[in-house]
Amino acid sequence: MEALFIWIETSPLSLWVRGESGWHMAFPIIIVFHALGMGFLVGVALAINGRVLGLAPQVPLGKLRQFLPVAMLALVVNVISGILLLIGYPTKALTNPVFYIKLLCIALALWNLRWFSYSVLTNPIYDHGVLPQKTRQLATASIVLWASAIIAGRLLAYTYNQMMSI
Amino acid sequence: MLLTISDWLQSTWLSHAFISQGRWAWPMCESLHFMGLCLLIGSVGMVDLRMLGMAKGIPVAALHKLVPFGVGGYLVNVITGSLFVVGDADQYIFNDAFRIKMLFMLVAGINVLFFYSSAFQKTKLLGPDDSMPLNVKIMAGVSLTCWIVIISAGRLITFYRP
Repeated sequence: MEALFIWIETSPLSLWVRGESGWHMAFPIIIVFHALGMGFLVGVALAINGRVLGLAPQVPLGKLRQFLPVAMLALVVNVISGILLLIGYPTKALTNPVFYIKLLCIALALWNLRWFSYSVLTNPIYDHGVLPQKTRQLATASIVLWASAIIAGRLLAYTYNQMMSI
Repeated sequence: MLLTISDWLQSTWLSHAFISQGRWAWPMCESLHFMGLCLLIGSVGMVDLRMLGMAKGIPVAALHKLVPFGVGGYLVNVITGSLFVVGDADQYIFNDAFRIKMLFMLVAGINVLFFYSSAFQKTKLLGPDDSMPLNVKIMAGVSLTCWIVIISAGRLITFYRP
């Protein structure tokens, strides 16, 4: 595993991310995109969950589907920026259990969002009125998962055991 | 003068209280700051997008019911943000990214006051498929741009430590 980390860390892309190939702004700019992507992805998810839980009841639930392209663009931005950050510091992330907790929370939250977008937002009977209890529980679970992903992500800066293998 | 303010902030009871909470208080407040940001984008940001023409079929007045939760997120961020500044004042007061963030907070604040005092009452009455008047679109664009700059500059603070 360490050989793989060293191979990644000595690659030109990894050096570029860490600002070791002359341009120091790559890392800060990637981090900024990661934060903006988080804001829009989690923001749209929270709005959908909030509506499912009964906030803003006059919003036709299915019409919120129109915000999903924003969330999906934000997801693409965060997958790309996240992979670049991982290429910059593979040892730091992959030797920290908190990183896997973060990925698990995101995977479950995205699965949840996918279920809502295909099974709830497409069904016109849910456009108005109160949603079934199971659906509302899943919306609560989504909020908890996104909050956990954010906490785990922020803790990555404080809980790593090893920064680099090289 | 700034140095005096910075030293004074760090000498306050609140600064000592926050810093002496142990090593997890700061990261937990940062996490709350991120959640507040998401609440703001998920309410104010989405109303801005709706006013800019996205998601026709949703009445602005209906979507606007989410805004109080964004204001809640904003208050969480004012509290946690103030703790950061009081806790480590010289890292912020002399930081160019922080200054840009504060400048755009001011612009966003003026824009909010302007919107609610001028166009909001008329905007609320528009139907679900109506297009917004140009002045409303401009204010929505200013709002969304400000929050994007504020998040970006905020995330850059750590790279511009004096």
